Amino acid sequence: MDAPPSSLAFGVDPELRRRARERLYVGCQVAGWLFFLLLQLLFVQLFTASPNHGGTVAASGQAVAIGLLLTHVARRWILRWGWKELGWRALVPRILGMALALSAAWMVTTYGLYYGLLRNPWPQKYHPLAILSLALVNGTVLMAGWLCIYFFYHLFDRYNRLQIEQLRLLAAVKEAELRALKSQINPHFIFNALNSLRGLIDENPARARQAVTQLANLLRYSLQSGHLETVPFEDELNTVNDYLALEQVRHEDRLRVRLDVAPEALHCLVPPMLLQTLVENAVKYGIAPRREGGEIAVRAWCARDLLRLEVTNPGTLAANGGSTGVGLRNAGERLRLLFGDHATLQLREDPPGRIVAAVGVPLEAAAPERPAEARRPAPAMASRPV
Amino acid sequence: MKALLIDDERLARNELRRLLAAHPGITVAGEAADADEARALVAALRPDLLFLDVQMPGDDGFALLESLEPPLPRVVFTTAYDEFAVKAFAFNALDYLLKPVDPARLAAALEKLAAPGGAGGAPADRPARLGPEDKVFVREGERCWFVELKAIRLLESEGNYTRLHFDDVQPQLFRSLNAMEERLDPRAFFRANRRQIINLAWVDRIEPWFSGGLLVHLKGGAKVELSRRQAQAFRDRMSL
Repeated sequence: MDAPPSSLAFGVDPELRRRARERLYVGCQVAGWLFFLLLQLLFVQLFTASPNHGGTVAASGQAVAIGLLLTHVARRWILRWGWKELGWRALVPRILGMALALSAAWMVTTYGLYYGLLRNPWPQKYHPLAILSLALVNGTVLMAGWLCIYFFYHLFDRYNRLQIEQLRLLAAVKEAELRALKSQINPHFIFNALNSLRGLIDENPARARQAVTQLANLLRYSLQSGHLETVPFEDELNTVNDYLALEQVRHEDRLRVRLDVAPEALHCLVPPMLLQTLVENAVKYGIAPRREGGEIAVRAWCARDLLRLEVTNPGTLAANGGSTGVGLRNAGERLRLLFGDHATLQLREDPPGRIVAAVGVPLEAAAPERPAEARRPAPAMASRPV
Repeated sequence: MKALLIDDERLARNELRRLLAAHPGITVAGEAADADEARALVAALRPDLLFLDVQMPGDDGFALLESLEPPLPRVVFTTAYDEFAVKAFAFNALDYLLKPVDPARLAAALEKLAAPGGAGGAPADRPARLGPEDKVFVREGERCWFVELKAIRLLESEGNYTRLHFDDVQPQLFRSLNAMEERLDPRAFFRANRRQIINLAWVDRIEPWFSGGLLVHLKGGAKVELSRRQAQAFRDRMSL
């Protein structure tokens, strides 16, 4: 009943927490009211000369029992009316009101029970109204006190939970940053590329030199673009070309590339490594597992206010890992974070045997940019695929 | 030693060939670009040593090994960077080389191979029956082993598969029990019943069982029932 979502911040089962809190509540109620009863009895013992000890104990006992019951019922109403979520401005009048109501109820039941039902003799010394008003005031104060203790406990509890939640979020952010950084660099690709490169040195030194440059460009872009929100599409395309050139060194004629980029698309701003991720996926699922390899097609064009990117590779949806592959999932996440619903990412098989990863990136959403950072000079040594 | 290079990348094969030129004891007998080519070459050339790339199109390195008929040649895996593969190798102490291959690491791996105790006998006189030192390649999920036959306590039939019991694992081999029986040395392995073959070296104790049969206790805890007929054959075998 009172397990807000952030109870999971503790990492504890909410059911266990709820039960622990019930036990705490019951314990406090019993202990508190017993203490109150003892105080009452002590007070009566020390300061009043009442002849009817047994009766006084009984009366006090009844009052305490009724008080406990009333506060228990009050707690249910507090929960039902959702008072725990209120600010103190709304809470103060409510506390006072409830304290008064509870006190009145308390008074009526205890006095009614003791003097009315049980027909105990009324102490003649005091005027009934005086006694009743005094009882009302005392009761109100007591009830208000009870309510304050209750709300204070919850206040501290909520504060603690918020702190834990905050720390957890901080940790999650750090972890996400780390994962993002790690996912920029694909070690499998790098070491394979280096291995091929080494093989190329004797066979074709000029091509080997070119490959070193391409690899260096790729690594530099990968490392530096990590903290940019967007980059010019031209830069991203240069990187993708370098990457494909290196993959062609490895796979030779198993990898064929077709590029179809509209000139106006070059100036658009895109999240870095987006196209790169799609192309890596295409090679991983479309070329590497096939003995005969295949063709990867990259298309980019502007339509309405979207930059549209399409990467096509041979394969089937099932074999492609679907949209549950990590690379595609990350790309989707980043698009969602940057553009919300305005960006689209879709994987489809069309025609059968060809997988198309299609992305739509809004054009004007790229407007508020830090001009100096966003426009890096295009890599001078970038080359087209061999 | 005759070696076969198996890698889908031509340049990677070239690299390895170039590095092996410095080791006169190793002759590169052939190259294969995928598992199918490899299978054909292994059958034709009967190499002593395979340099095997883990990731290839079609069947990967592990699948290739699982499909080869024992006894297997020695295998050195090569991988660029595959977290899983590297872990699996380290776990099983199988030999592997990281690409690009460091010449010093290659030399160390080859030195280990030269040590006696390997299954690299001269191809011509490879016996039809497998000896206790011969190894079988078996994979289960993320783990793989080259296990010597003498370490296998028990083989159990599960349809087209055989479950091998060794150490504290029981992975499945994609071979039927009957196929295994044909290759195993009958002096070391005994067909206890329709479903089980036991390694006689692992017999702990024997007790009489129902209808004149026997219950054989293996070291490691397994218990195997022998029918009366098998029990007789068993007694004959053991008293030799």
